[in-house]
Amino acid sequence: MKKTASSKIKKVSNLKYDRKTAEEPFEWWGPSPDEARRTMSNKAKGMRDKRMPLKEAVGRYVRDGINIGIGGFVNTRVPVAIVHEIIRHGARDLTLSFQSNSICAELLAGAMILDPDRVCIRRVELAWWGYEVIGIAPLLRYLTSNGMIRLDDYTNYGMSARFKAAAMGIPFVPTRDHGGSDMELVNRGRMVECPFTGKNVYLVPACHPDLGIVHVTAADIYGNSRIFGAHCTCPEIAMAAAHTIVTTERIIPNENIRTYPNLTEIPYATVDALVEQPYGAYPGASYGYYWFDMDHIKMFRGICDEFRKTGKKDALKKYFDEYIFGCETYDDFLAKLGYKKLRELRDMDGGQPIILS
Amino acid sequence: MPDYTPFEMIAYTGSRVLEDEKIVFVGTGLPIIASMHAQLTHAPGLSMIFESGPLSPVLEMGMPLSVGDTRACRKACYLKGLSAVFELTQRGYSDYAFIGGAQIDMYGNVCSTFEGGTYNTPQTRFPGSGGAGAMAANCEKSIIIMALEKRRFTEKVEFLTSIGFGDGSADYREKAGVTGAGPYRVITNQALFGFDDKTRRMVLLEVLPGKKAKDIQDMVSFDLLISPDLKEMAEPTAEDLRLLREVCDPDGYFLNRKVK
Repeated sequence: MKKTASSKIKKVSNLKYDRKTAEEPFEWWGPSPDEARRTMSNKAKGMRDKRMPLKEAVGRYVRDGINIGIGGFVNTRVPVAIVHEIIRHGARDLTLSFQSNSICAELLAGAMILDPDRVCIRRVELAWWGYEVIGIAPLLRYLTSNGMIRLDDYTNYGMSARFKAAAMGIPFVPTRDHGGSDMELVNRGRMVECPFTGKNVYLVPACHPDLGIVHVTAADIYGNSRIFGAHCTCPEIAMAAAHTIVTTERIIPNENIRTYPNLTEIPYATVDALVEQPYGAYPGASYGYYWFDMDHIKMFRGICDEFRKTGKKDALKKYFDEYIFGCETYDDFLAKLGYKKLRELRDMDGGQPIILS
Repeated sequence: MPDYTPFEMIAYTGSRVLEDEKIVFVGTGLPIIASMHAQLTHAPGLSMIFESGPLSPVLEMGMPLSVGDTRACRKACYLKGLSAVFELTQRGYSDYAFIGGAQIDMYGNVCSTFEGGTYNTPQTRFPGSGGAGAMAANCEKSIIIMALEKRRFTEKVEFLTSIGFGDGSADYREKAGVTGAGPYRVITNQALFGFDDKTRRMVLLEVLPGKKAKDIQDMVSFDLLISPDLKEMAEPTAEDLRLLREVCDPDGYFLNRKVK
């Protein structure tokens, strides 16, 4: 969109970008705030048993063209089980939204490369997509250098604030970052003059995913969810989204939730589908349950990098056939890893304290 | 003087730069090691904050491998999520930021978004801002870790991801709407840089023992200011190295990596 108030950003870097794209009129890449509000108002708010198989949950809420908000942070408590099911189900013309992600985004990108008629990503609203110390995300690199997806860049705070604004039911939120960086020129936020201080402040639009996918520490059958360890931006994503699928390591009695309601991070009315899926974030880590499987992460990244360098899809196809398409459920996938591996990862968590009672 | 690796020098220098009774916003690897070393030596009252949520954790389970992973939450005093951490930062709780990137210019602006091609079709797309853009904007002082190479210390960055002093003008950061004072130090394994108060340009403050100002200028694409008080970087003692190697990063996950 055309920017009015502005920092002095134009004079600083060597940036080459497509102005027409950067200045196109703003549109919501998912439901508008009014649409999201209507969806929430129309939902039945009773304490219903939200449990269903993950395949059924994905079948109900995943369609072509939706915006999927992905929870977790990099590879910490990421909803990998849900992503596997989405890939099996298929979804085209997707918008992905997250702050920082790693394997979930790469898995969806891999599915797109193998069969764009099954899974296809059109654009991503993000702050970061990579593998940290392990290296650059090879499939992000492949898709971007071939002009196959569009990115809308924010900071980790920017994307978190966008989900928070949506969860708050407001169409934007002011931030004190992005201004003076090239994100001010290319992303879909805008600088305005604060009516109270007279100074520049950067507005970021709300981000309402059509579907939020998050993995939590514990939840009751109605969806009341607890998250121990870092919250990342999971409560906000769940509450911003028009619909939310939650996978949980453990289901706990509603009685426990009612004993300590302060510990509830996501209330029942937010959750549309609940699935008890132990190791639902594997190969990511889940506080109180298991550490990362670094070997598996590196192995998958290696396969993707091999494709990026050679263009050969054999190893990539083999991974997806074995671990995703060759499995009916996530438990089938976990069974292939074996008890000893899962036991090892459980021990490496070191027994981080969580409260289930 | 005992032998030390380039990364050990960076970690030790990072530790020297940090002050006691401050909060430092860290990312994985060298920033954590530098902060831990500072806590064990001259800054016992220093606290770390991680962007995924934890404030003041006790890192007794080994090095976190990912920014704000489950180990980084161990025995934190306060543990929420990203929104809380960045809100605290905007409010003024985060004294230092450690950030990194692929390129830096003379005003401390850092690129971590892409290299080559255009923003829309980049040759090599990097992960993106992540927390760095927000940290550079709103932590009070930024400490940048960068490899000392001519192509990295560049005239103009290809994408300004993390704000430094912009074009060097006195009101750049104010017009940008950010709250932090800006870049404070740039740490490489061969040189320590600061920023000139009047011009906001990068100043060479310290050089690795045995190096001269010209050696460093040869590795940088823009004209460096040289401090009239140029000194040699302090070297870690045997005890510093013991702390780094046995206490901070006993598995050598970050300190043993090869200089890229």
